[in-house]
Amino acid sequence: MIEFKNVSKVYDSNGVHALDHVSLKINKGEFVFIVGASGAGKSTFLKLIMHEETPTSGVIVVNDMHLEKMKRRKVPYLRRTMGIVFQDFRLISKMTVYENVAFAMRCVGRKNDSIKKRVPYILELVGLADKADDHPSELSGGEQQRVSLARALVNNPELIIADEPTGNIDPEMSYEIIELLSEINKRGTTVLVVTHEHELVKSFGKRVITIDDGRVVSDSDDDQFVAI
Amino acid sequence: MSSFGYLVKEGFKNLFHNRLMSLASIGVLISCLVLTGSAVMLTINVSNIVDSVGDTNVTKVFLDDDLTKLEAVYKGKELKDVDNVVDVQFIDKDESIEAYREQLGEEVFANMTGDDNPLPYSYSVVMEDLSKYDDTVAKIKEVEGVASVSSHREVAAKLTSLSSFITTMSLWIILALAVISLFIISNTIRMTMFSHRFEISIMKSVGATNAFVRVPFIIEGIIIGLVSAAVSIGLLFVLSDAIINSVQKILDFPYTRFTDPTVMWPVIGAFAAAGVLVGAFGSMVSIRRYLTHEGSEILGW
Repeated sequence: MIEFKNVSKVYDSNGVHALDHVSLKINKGEFVFIVGASGAGKSTFLKLIMHEETPTSGVIVVNDMHLEKMKRRKVPYLRRTMGIVFQDFRLISKMTVYENVAFAMRCVGRKNDSIKKRVPYILELVGLADKADDHPSELSGGEQQRVSLARALVNNPELIIADEPTGNIDPEMSYEIIELLSEINKRGTTVLVVTHEHELVKSFGKRVITIDDGRVVSDSDDDQFVAI
Repeated sequence: MSSFGYLVKEGFKNLFHNRLMSLASIGVLISCLVLTGSAVMLTINVSNIVDSVGDTNVTKVFLDDDLTKLEAVYKGKELKDVDNVVDVQFIDKDESIEAYREQLGEEVFANMTGDDNPLPYSYSVVMEDLSKYDDTVAKIKEVEGVASVSSHREVAAKLTSLSSFITTMSLWIILALAVISLFIISNTIRMTMFSHRFEISIMKSVGATNAFVRVPFIIEGIIIGLVSAAVSIGLLFVLSDAIINSVQKILDFPYTRFTDPTVMWPVIGAFAAAGVLVGAFGSMVSIRRYLTHEGSEILGW
């Protein structure tokens, strides 16, 4: 669950108003697209959810944690409730597919036994069981993104955040990735996909929140915006 | 526990990955530790010598070169008459040279016998009350035909001041080297960290705690420290033995060797502790800085 109440973010370094009094609520189990042009405030929105940045004003609640007053040492435990999928995959090239996914489990101190059980299961889920011993460089873009997704899923997060997950892969592969995310969503995980590909978004008929110039300018689920 | 094993392994990998800088750190730390150990060994041995000879009340009195043996023997009576002197023992030139030969080898004074003997006649003088030592020496020097007076006490005093000088000097050098080793180690670790910044950003994004991110780097620092300590102990063992062996030929005293358990174990313990501390501290300094700045970004960099 993500809730923004009147959140603004002004960057000290350049005075840019990245978000301007944003309020929105994403419930547990929802699938939401966040769309907007580059520079609209999407990245800031994600950074605030991950607590990479703190809001200048307003209240942010993510998975029952209040972020605006969160202590530094609590941040890792917030991040454990979410899995992040990056546009550029961010896979470690010298590790195999299996190791890349296992790495996320090691980082949160999981035991070898549970790693050995969980990683093959997740690789199966994203359809990469037969690529476990390959290195990222041997995979296609779509496959690499599925490894990235496997890594995001492996610690069983409540929320998956995908930052332009289809930005670096072929259109047909893009569709496949969103399908996969939608499958994961059906199992109860909240999914948040940030993208600027309007065509892709339309074909899935999910909730779409549009951000422009630091404001929410439309929300397909909110009556307030239906008129637009 | 399994994740700790994993982190230790990562620490070793880092060390190897960055081997040139690791070697530099180890080298500086070794010089620091060996110097410290040498200073300790020197201080122990000098105080040993001082302890063992400082209390002897035997003083050597050398007579003028031009005295004949007969004149020299007569001087014994005069010396014995000096206040506070209880016993005197005449030492022939030939005996003195013989004593030197025994210590330094036959060939050293081979031609210096009979009339060619360059050493003077001398006496060992035993005093009754050592607190009057300086007075008594002054009086002995007044006796005609006495060239000089020497005693182990003087050697001891000279050694003590030399050793305290060396100790102070080495203290400063050690301090400087310790600062340099800290600096080099923290730079080594910082380099490793930069080469791993990608992994670190992923670790942070999946929710690794700072403590977890830190462990491999601290382990890398500790390994650097421990390896340096081990090599230093080996070097110190070899070095101090060689030095003691050669000094013993000239000055024969009951030297304390490095293998003496009362020296060896505390030194090994102190070195290991110093290695661990310097290594861990050096790496923590750079990690703290990294994690609070660049290392806190996930999407940003």
